[in-house]
Amino acid sequence: MLLAVVWLVAQTPNGISAGGRFLFWNGLMVTSRHRIGVMFSTTGSYSVVARSMLNGALLAFEEISRSFPDIGLEPIVVNPGGDLARYAEYSLQMTSSGIRHVIGCYTSSSRKEVIPCFEKYDALLWYPSHYEGFETSNNVIYTGASPNQHVLPLVRYMLAEIGSSAFCVGSNYIWAWENNRIFREAMIAQGGKVLGERYFAIGDTEFDQVIDTILSERPDFVFNNLIGESAYAFFRLFRSACRARGIDQATQIPIASCTLSEPELEEIGHDMVDGHLSSSVYFSSLRSPTNKAFTTAYERAFPNGPAVSADAEASYIAVQLLARSLSAAGTDEVSAVKNAVARQRLAAPQGEVWIDPQTFHAWLTPRIGRSNREARFDAIVEEAGPIQPDPYLVQSSPRYAVVSHTPNLRIAK
Amino acid sequence: MVARLLQNFNGSRALIVTTNRTAVEALETTLVKLGVTSEFLAVTDGRIDIDMASLKAERDILFVDGDLEGALPLEAEGDPRLPPVPVIGLVGVEAPSRLKRLVNLGATAFLRKPVHSAAIYTALFLGVNQFLLRNDMQNRLDDMERRRRGRRSVIKAVLALTTQVGIDDDEAYNRLRRESMRLRVSLEEYCEEFLGRWAAMPKVTAREEPPGWRAEKK
Repeated sequence: MLLAVVWLVAQTPNGISAGGRFLFWNGLMVTSRHRIGVMFSTTGSYSVVARSMLNGALLAFEEISRSFPDIGLEPIVVNPGGDLARYAEYSLQMTSSGIRHVIGCYTSSSRKEVIPCFEKYDALLWYPSHYEGFETSNNVIYTGASPNQHVLPLVRYMLAEIGSSAFCVGSNYIWAWENNRIFREAMIAQGGKVLGERYFAIGDTEFDQVIDTILSERPDFVFNNLIGESAYAFFRLFRSACRARGIDQATQIPIASCTLSEPELEEIGHDMVDGHLSSSVYFSSLRSPTNKAFTTAYERAFPNGPAVSADAEASYIAVQLLARSLSAAGTDEVSAVKNAVARQRLAAPQGEVWIDPQTFHAWLTPRIGRSNREARFDAIVEEAGPIQPDPYLVQSSPRYAVVSHTPNLRIAK
Repeated sequence: MVARLLQNFNGSRALIVTTNRTAVEALETTLVKLGVTSEFLAVTDGRIDIDMASLKAERDILFVDGDLEGALPLEAEGDPRLPPVPVIGLVGVEAPSRLKRLVNLGATAFLRKPVHSAAIYTALFLGVNQFLLRNDMQNRLDDMERRRRGRRSVIKAVLALTTQVGIDDDEAYNRLRRESMRLRVSLEEYCEEFLGRWAAMPKVTAREEPPGWRAEKK
């Protein structure tokens, strides 16, 4: 190892810390150094996934320091704690202090909160999570899945294998609203139906009433867009309620999600983790040498977890692509880096990944997994290769919105 | 009536009228992402080189720069505020006189120059769907107008039936309405046609049913 790296990422309560990295010089010429922002809510109601995302990013930084010794990347880690105002505040501090690239955000509400700042200061946000689409900011690189890579494959699978009626629950913000809309329109267009749709504040854990409603409606499956602790509570309460009524939840009313990842299964708890369906571009159980190396390195670096997730992989991809693009561009200037990133092809843990030059979203490989008792997913369906991102669903949705209610018939005399 | 809501613009064509190409750079690059192709129309002597009759409302969307010099750039038949395709205004100078021209062109959405990519989907969504909504409303107004003009026929037909067949006005109206629904035409159209037949037939003296009535079962 040519460079020994010590992470001293600390934070002061009100801003960007003096944290950073010491480079122990070993004779190699570092031709450029860049401070890179890393912004994840590692505390708060959805911190489990965010901590795995931070880990994924940090693992990539560590690898880059060895594989790209010509560029010195100095991660500046901040934690907005799930507070939207602090996302905006940290983004402003980082971009106005000259940081041009930030890996960050998990929720869409936080991403939408910070984009104006990135556009104003012409910085680049590397957004490493699946999301609901309908956005292509010139100042964002999207390394997570677009809706045609998560929710649409899920609809096809559920209609073919599970059943045609669904009940939707979600956290009350843009992700769940839009993902449910896409889900509902795709279901109705293909002959399925949505029996109900309920939203809860992020962090809510009271679900008795909606569970009663679901059990009386008896859908073929539940479509879950709850995030963080709300989701874990719902999974537990729903399975308990089913058990109390003699229903085998996993086979009779399975829960399908586009968000559910391995560290979250661990949060749900041991006798309730199996039989949940997840549409994702990555599962830690994928059997490829690249993924084996990735998960081994991750577990060695972060033995106390959280386990590796799809969003951790997307964060890892984001940093790997950023480093390669900085190296190719020879500058951290945004338009040069964007030009360079569109020319990269990365052998990622999930398979080959590259950025679409038109939308700056990633080509990724959709999969459906079913969780097992070990809190991991077994991939049960897998695309043959990477699928083009279609953030506005121009190739994959009908021209006119699908109207779900019955037409207004008037009674004529 | 539920208005159709267009949300996927794939396959559409944007016709862009401006002399300031740099202000609309983001427009073309963002429209491509939405599956929309762009064409720039030439402006010569304050006139746009375009055949309005060749435009298709299902396909074309017109982006017109409000800062263009010259007279109204579009020569549409009928009310110019009801253009044949959706019009989205490109706003530079925010003066009322310039904005008025865009209103007079029937613009249903606006984009501020220089065009920012994050505003384009919203402008398309509002511009096209407001255009569709306005067309639906215009069609309904036209229909109402036709019916208003047909009121006289309805009154005459009811009168003819009450005086000649000897039924009261409610019954006469119900018969006319039932028959128009059976034939799937508006009451007004039916009454007009009914009066034509009524006038052509020999005058009835007895209380006979006029021609074309179905036998009513009692």
